[in-house]
Amino acid sequence: MNTRLLMTLRVTVTTPQSIGAVPHGTRRTVPIAGGDFEGPRLRGSVLPGGSADWLLLRADGVLELDLRATLRTDDGALISMRSFGLRHGPPDVIEALARGEAVDPTAYYFRTTPRFETAHPAYAFLNHLIAVASGDRRAEGPIYTIHELL
Amino acid sequence: MNARPLMRLRLTTAATEEIGLTPHGRLSIFPITGGSFEGERLRGIVLGGADWVTAAADGTFELDLRLTLATDDGALIHMTFTGVRDDTNRYFRTLPRFETAAPKYAFLNRLLAVGTGEAHRDGPVHTIEEIL
Repeated sequence: MNTRLLMTLRVTVTTPQSIGAVPHGTRRTVPIAGGDFEGPRLRGSVLPGGSADWLLLRADGVLELDLRATLRTDDGALISMRSFGLRHGPPDVIEALARGEAVDPTAYYFRTTPRFETAHPAYAFLNHLIAVASGDRRAEGPIYTIHELL
Repeated sequence: MNARPLMRLRLTTAATEEIGLTPHGRLSIFPITGGSFEGERLRGIVLGGADWVTAAADGTFELDLRLTLATDDGALIHMTFTGVRDDTNRYFRTLPRFETAAPKYAFLNRLLAVGTGEAHRDGPVHTIEEIL
């Protein structure tokens, strides 16, 4: 698997909305208040309006992530990002994360697969690339290191 | 990012069903009639499925595949992927996902994977790696 760094994305989250037990698991929505991203080819901020992570805790203990975020580059382009992911780990690690403690991100599995859509010609390369990300869950919100699959 | 091999998947396809120009682009359905998969941790045959392929206006293809795998010890695995094929840039990459009820293969429910596709005359071959 050959990859190259696309960006580091930091999002800040606000109070989660606990939807509760639904047919496929336990659902929680985490609104995104903002954030920023930076990489060799693009940088900018995260817009709060349409950005959130829709979480589903499955019966097998795996947390499914379904993040949608709007990114705005420093030169004014809007980029829609969607990212499916999985998070799981040993129970004590997951409990520490739930308490908002700082946890070594190598102690659990937190991987996502972002896709991007934009109408801006300068960033059209994003429309057709496949990317993978590793996440580092912090109390204020996750940090994603996103790599383009070459 | 680190990855390790999961399987090599060979698919055989039947005649394409051309749905034509839809609001999202030109849609073609590639029925999958069979195939095989092999990796260190699992091997077996493909029972069938299809890949829904939409051609975008810029000449790239968006892939949306669903199929069923049967392991050599009798487990069924539901596999899907979305992906991109861009022949101009020789880019053919996918994001496979798996669902199974077989305890032996439950590790598939907990992983994300990436695939590199190659077009062959008798059908595509996908080299799939687990994202570690």
